[in-house]
Amino acid sequence: MTLLPWKRTVRESGPQTSAFEDLALPLLPSLYNVAFWLSRNPPDAEDLVQETFLKALRGFATFEPGSNFRAWIFRILRNTYLTSRTGLAAMRTVALEDELDDRNASGSALYPEGAIDRKTPEKNLIRLSDRAALQAAMEKLPPPLLEVILLCDVEEMKYREIATVLEIPIGTVMSRIARARTALRAELQVNVTPREFRA
Amino acid sequence: MSDHLSHSMLNGLADGELSADQLAVANEHLAGCPACTSNALYQSLLKSATAKAGQRYTPPPHLQERLTRLASRSEAPGTGTGHRYPQQWRFGWGWVAAAVLLLVSASTMLLQRTTRKTELASAEHAALVTEVFDQHVATLAGSLPPQVVSTDRHTVKPWFQGKLPFSFNLPEGLPRDTTLDGANLTYLHNQPVAQLLYSIGKHRVSVFVREKAGGASTDEAPAEHAGFHVMGFGTGDLEGVAVSDVDPARLAELVSEIRGAQTGR
Repeated sequence: MTLLPWKRTVRESGPQTSAFEDLALPLLPSLYNVAFWLSRNPPDAEDLVQETFLKALRGFATFEPGSNFRAWIFRILRNTYLTSRTGLAAMRTVALEDELDDRNASGSALYPEGAIDRKTPEKNLIRLSDRAALQAAMEKLPPPLLEVILLCDVEEMKYREIATVLEIPIGTVMSRIARARTALRAELQVNVTPREFRA
Repeated sequence: MSDHLSHSMLNGLADGELSADQLAVANEHLAGCPACTSNALYQSLLKSATAKAGQRYTPPPHLQERLTRLASRSEAPGTGTGHRYPQQWRFGWGWVAAAVLLLVSASTMLLQRTTRKTELASAEHAALVTEVFDQHVATLAGSLPPQVVSTDRHTVKPWFQGKLPFSFNLPEGLPRDTTLDGANLTYLHNQPVAQLLYSIGKHRVSVFVREKAGGASTDEAPAEHAGFHVMGFGTGDLEGVAVSDVDPARLAELVSEIRGAQTGR
């Protein structure tokens, strides 16, 4: 079994706390933002971030300097979320749905090529400028798709980094990103139609 | 079969994840396919729009302050800011002033350190309560039986042999309506702990027993968390914490029996 870079060695003397402060505090806005998206309420987001900081501080002696601190602390955040009340409830709710999302009963892709309206790009482009509509569409994503889109688009992580944080293969990262974006596009297209009819 | 670029190619293009070869193929296709060009543009715009829309929540100032204090709670030796005194302070009064200043500085630092330690202990205790609560709720929600299913303490206790770096006693007599259901080996703050599962009437109880550590300790004072009662206890080298939604008095009876079993009462 390959050990993860930050678990490769445990140094005899841990790094200075000021190093942790320097590395962790700049990530606080990102961690809180992702925590809030996942937990959907301020108290749970605060608890999640605080617990993440405590765990990271305690385990900082095992962190390998020079390796990816951001991926390391985001992984702690994600694992803490998974064992939290909201995480357990959310992941249990979508577990079955998540397995079925890739393909439906007939074996065809759930979001076929036709789900994307290639003929009316201008409508889609206009819709993208509606920040509230996009946030509403993101809120409808199941947690496994939301977390991958947050890490990829908002945190600008590479696929390999995301795979490390979520502990899933890169292929799964790619398929989840594809599904998340297809779902967002579909949601934005669905929402645009009634407005046009009203006009 | 479609000749258009696949979803994964379009996403890879937007995310900058295509290899040089893939990028060349994609560019060649895009040069002659308006539909895919439009689609690729949309995918890139969707990515940047999602990035902006996703930056939605900012941490409240009190959280920032709390975590800043937490992160800097133990400054490394030698990194503190030293006081530089002017050279002309060579007279007696100068030394007195310096001594007073040092005394005040030391007192302030001591006070700050004590405050930080208190805050850290409080935060760690809150995190422990949350973790214990999450583990209990996960056990209640899980469909799997306990790792060791038995009402017999002579079965449950030996099951932990070789699994935990400590041993503990289970009470022989239990309060009214209380039964031992089994136990799990679990982890709190990365430490192995015994999760003893009891029922008081129809209420489920988890009692976590672990070796005393330097970190967060269980507070003897009962606490409330999301409607559940959390009760800590400590005996010798062991400490425990019980969590349940049962009446606190009945939970205290069970905790008292478990504590008594450790001291041989």
